[in-house]
Amino acid sequence: MCRNGSDRMAALFSPPLYLQRYQFVIEYVKRFIPRKVIDLGCADCGLLRKLKFHRNAIEVLAGVDIDCAALRERVNALAPLTIDYLQPSPRPLTIELYQGSVTEREPCTQGFDLVTCMELIEHLQLWEVEGFSNVVFGYMNPCAVIISTPNVEFNPLLPGLRGFRNKDHKFEWTRAEFQTWALGVCMEYGYSVEFTGVGVAPGQNRDVGFCTQIAVFQRDAGVSNGPVNNAVQMEPTVYRLLYRVVYPSLCDNNIFQRTLVCQVLYRAESLKREFELGEQSMQSDLTACAHSLPPDVVAGSTVVYRHRSHVFVPLQHVWTDPKVQALCGNIHRLRQALMDDSRVQLDTDRDAIILPDEGEEEEDEEETGECEEGNLTPSPVIDNSEEDWETEIG
Amino acid sequence: MTGRARARSRGRARGQETGAPGAQPPPSEEAARPVPPPSAEGELVGRGRQRRAPGAVASEALLQISAGFQQVKIGERGGRRRDFHDAGVHTRQLMEHVKESKTGVSGSKIELRANFMRLLSRPQWALYQYHVDFKPPMESRRLRSALLFQHDETLGKARTFDGAILFLPHRLHNTETVLCSETRHGERVQITVTLTNELPPSSPVCLQFYNIIFRRILRMLNMQQIGRHYYNPDDPLNIPQHRLTIWPGFVTNILQYESSIMLCTDVSHKVLRSETVLDFMYNLRKQCGDQRFPDACTKELVGLIVLTKYNNKTYRIDDIAWDHTPNNTFKRGDADISFKDYYKTQYGLDITDGNQVLLVSEVKRMGPSGAPPPGPALLIPEFCYLTGLTDKMRNDFNIMKDLSSHTRLTPEQRESRLNRFITNISRNTEAQNELSTWGLSFENKLLGLTGRVLPAERILQGSRTYDYNPWAADWSKEMRGLPLISSMPLESWLMFYTRRNSDVAQSLLQTLNRVSGPMGIRMQRAVMIEYEDRQESLLRALQQNVGPDTQMVVVILPTNRKDKYDCVKKYLCVDCPTPSQCVVSRTLSRPQALMTVATKIALQMNCKMGGELWSIEIPLKQLMIVGIDCYHDTAAGKRSIGALVASLNHGMSRWFSKCVLQSRGQEIIDGLKGALKGALKAYWKYNNCLPSRIIVYRDGVGDGMLQSVVNYEVPQIMQSIKTMGEDYMPKLTVVVVKKRIASRFFARIDGKLTNPPPGTVIDTEVTRPEWYDFFIVSQAVRCGSVSPTHYNVVFDNSGLKPDHMQRLTYKLCHMYYNWQGIVRVPAPCQYAHKLAFLVGQSIHKEPNINLDDFLYYL
Repeated sequence: MCRNGSDRMAALFSPPLYLQRYQFVIEYVKRFIPRKVIDLGCADCGLLRKLKFHRNAIEVLAGVDIDCAALRERVNALAPLTIDYLQPSPRPLTIELYQGSVTEREPCTQGFDLVTCMELIEHLQLWEVEGFSNVVFGYMNPCAVIISTPNVEFNPLLPGLRGFRNKDHKFEWTRAEFQTWALGVCMEYGYSVEFTGVGVAPGQNRDVGFCTQIAVFQRDAGVSNGPVNNAVQMEPTVYRLLYRVVYPSLCDNNIFQRTLVCQVLYRAESLKREFELGEQSMQSDLTACAHSLPPDVVAGSTVVYRHRSHVFVPLQHVWTDPKVQALCGNIHRLRQALMDDSRVQLDTDRDAIILPDEGEEEEDEEETGECEEGNLTPSPVIDNSEEDWETEIG
Repeated sequence: MTGRARARSRGRARGQETGAPGAQPPPSEEAARPVPPPSAEGELVGRGRQRRAPGAVASEALLQISAGFQQVKIGERGGRRRDFHDAGVHTRQLMEHVKESKTGVSGSKIELRANFMRLLSRPQWALYQYHVDFKPPMESRRLRSALLFQHDETLGKARTFDGAILFLPHRLHNTETVLCSETRHGERVQITVTLTNELPPSSPVCLQFYNIIFRRILRMLNMQQIGRHYYNPDDPLNIPQHRLTIWPGFVTNILQYESSIMLCTDVSHKVLRSETVLDFMYNLRKQCGDQRFPDACTKELVGLIVLTKYNNKTYRIDDIAWDHTPNNTFKRGDADISFKDYYKTQYGLDITDGNQVLLVSEVKRMGPSGAPPPGPALLIPEFCYLTGLTDKMRNDFNIMKDLSSHTRLTPEQRESRLNRFITNISRNTEAQNELSTWGLSFENKLLGLTGRVLPAERILQGSRTYDYNPWAADWSKEMRGLPLISSMPLESWLMFYTRRNSDVAQSLLQTLNRVSGPMGIRMQRAVMIEYEDRQESLLRALQQNVGPDTQMVVVILPTNRKDKYDCVKKYLCVDCPTPSQCVVSRTLSRPQALMTVATKIALQMNCKMGGELWSIEIPLKQLMIVGIDCYHDTAAGKRSIGALVASLNHGMSRWFSKCVLQSRGQEIIDGLKGALKGALKAYWKYNNCLPSRIIVYRDGVGDGMLQSVVNYEVPQIMQSIKTMGEDYMPKLTVVVVKKRIASRFFARIDGKLTNPPPGTVIDTEVTRPEWYDFFIVSQAVRCGSVSPTHYNVVFDNSGLKPDHMQRLTYKLCHMYYNWQGIVRVPAPCQYAHKLAFLVGQSIHKEPNINLDDFLYYL
């Protein structure tokens, strides 16, 4: 994807054309909700960085480029943010970057829902395009492919342009040429295609088409060229894996458990605090304390109660917290999840969370201190009998 | 985000992915204000973009660069960065008597281990600095990197390039190498790479470079940068009841220490909160109601640091924009866009609460290529996560207890964390590759060094002297039953209490009477006054009862709520200057502890009225010790408060104290000049002479502020002394005291790693060659690792030997009357801290001058 050469187009389009292309993909992702997306020719990962935020349901985000310097340059921008750790997302996300050529077959690139290929094919030699089609449509065989390329018919509208838009372009196609190629691909590999684009011509020059022409391919129903290996994580055989990061998510059992326990305990502690406040105001009213009833009276109860220096917070109460509900779905799952967790103590019926009662505070440290002092080493000698530093100053 | 990436995103065109939407141009009056002269530490060599035409670059830039040891900064482009390590402040060379040696001799030797690791490089290692020139000039820094890095085979794998300066670990064949690259759209670019400098391993640029490399390594270990340090997100500690998450991490820096370049690394914890500012606001509103909400909100939030959901930047909340909501718009390019739409299109983030008010953060960073800062940024509370603790949490005993149980590490735990960190680095292949391509490595163990344990002091109390257990560094038991040096008879004093606490008040009164006898304090019965448990009625009670003859006011407070305490202190420190003592009733509630508590209260009351408790031998005459500290009041318009405390007698038992408030932009010392003059006058009054030696201990100097202390404060202090008379020329010493440092020391005693004993002095290896500095571990801690105090003598014409300087400093740590033991800093610093804190937290005004000669703030 080329951004650098777009100076002369910058003035023409707002937002800039490359952003419009990104936006096109983002809109597509929003509509079709792919889970695995791979960007061929991802350069400095601009599109991937965008998709990271506009994920919808994306769980695997991969990028391929032949230039590893370009890939490395912005790798850190794909790493999880601090907040991704603090508030793990409900969905998993893995980001992978490969160095490799789009004309080679790499097993890792199979099984994707969407392949994007923005402003790439024009950098291939014409004779390579067929191989490319074969790899992308025949071998990778994704559900959908988005391919964009310059529309040469638009070039006369670009001020001062002679020849191709970029010196590295090996060809630039007219709409007819692009469509011929695309329809050929559809015939051969069982896809259907729609044509569109971004970058509308100014004024009356509508008949030249979009500045960037885009073809969106959909695989025909029931056509799949080979085994789809979704599950197994493989090491690349042809490509080189440059970067791989797994985002923290609630699908990781440890993270889920940790997040749930934190939310549950927070909720339980705040219920306990409310209970204690209520208790205090009752005590100052000198009314009898109805809360210290024996547990058999209140068993299965939905009120917070105190028993033998512990406060019992019923799960029912904790369950009312929307965040807990969002995490667990139903109260049985909540109970299951808490049962095996050492950080949470449940009562015998597993109906309430037991929290220590901090009403009586422990002794001040001042009193309990006096620890492990004693004669560890011979104490330094005291020799400061009558000194006078003044006289020692030379 | 990494330093590198941050710099990059700053350089990006505005409006693409800016981190600070809503950035407004600074108001014109801001812009009109004269720019302060650039400090030496901020000098940057042009970066970010090529400013000059090629060819013209050379001469001037070259001159500057080839100096080698000059301040060339690598890394963070486009902005100026504070030098947090105060490198380049060379004070030692100006002090004749420590040029040769700055080490002491007293005490017994002790083998220690320190949290330092030597950086090893092969012999004759050097860093080669190249200037890179593009023809035609390339505007985009990223493009420049891409073009240059097409020449891997020539340049090699190890390189650091910031757009103009290239660093390589090896020398290229020619001094000038011409390379040709081609941009993606076929433009041919000629790149000239010219050797400008060969940097020895200890040059400042190299040091900076090591730190950049090391930060890369921390990132390879999957650590997240928050603020200046790196933390491990994979192993969080949670304290669910307070919604706190603690990330363990490390503070690291690589510097030239006394004999070698070392990495200093200490365990650090970052407190994060798993709630957004919006959640926090909801809760607060629920707690305090709509009426009080705006005030409470400002008080709680302003000054806090937040992390945003869409990038890794941190922002300080400076204000709240009560009249802004996410529906407001800002200029983005040519068009207006609402915050709501911006976050939706830019990051796919939905704002659920359209009525939330926005947060304001002044962005201090420079704009792209040295442009002025972009002005305040407006942030969405829903997308901001709180970090750190609020003052309220800090005052909450339970939270702090829970926290410290997680974060307080024994010496053994600390050492094992550090060792694990070292192992992780040495086991990580990526990190090792990075280091080895640069020809660097770290010694795989903590530094061993020898310290000295100073002799324990003998405490003098009137005619009696006694020793204390040097490991405990505490003499509360030893002084039990001994008469004080001097005590003030209590003849006319008042005790205020609420009805609920009348029993407690009676028993306190009795116990005070009982304990004061043996200490030699004569005590009449107090006048007992009951007040209603309301602030106004307490104030009224004070106004009606405290008279000019009142020597002391004791107030028993029903809770530790701050407002009543503040009210008492405000009235009795400003309007009606009278020593006062507040006690929270809970402290008195346990009968078995009452004797101990009453003893402490009696001692404190005695000090506040001018009594003296104990003393130590000071082998210097006509000496005045001055302590300075400051407090930064974030709530009240960010005013800083400076406090100065100066000794008035030889026994260091009487002190003159002064506190000044200053407005923004003013230097702390400007206000304290007058205070120093006042101190000298008071000294004259007490001694009929002026001191022949003045030693100033300056605490509260932030990282990177050392230069300004040396260049600005020291001359101001001298000027202030001059005003006492032309021929008055006392010897002056200025010592910068630092408590918050990363250096840690461990002793191995009986096969167990422990804290070094109180009195341990370290003045070799881990000190800095350009300073006259030393460390003292003066206090004893019951749990956790002790933190040493760093002393940096920045000015000294006294000729005092380093050994005496160290011992005097240690002696002064014995003289803080609110603690019957040794404290972390010299007593005057601790007094100054206490005073500044009281004024900053409670009084917010300059205390009455009638109190200047008393330790009324204890």
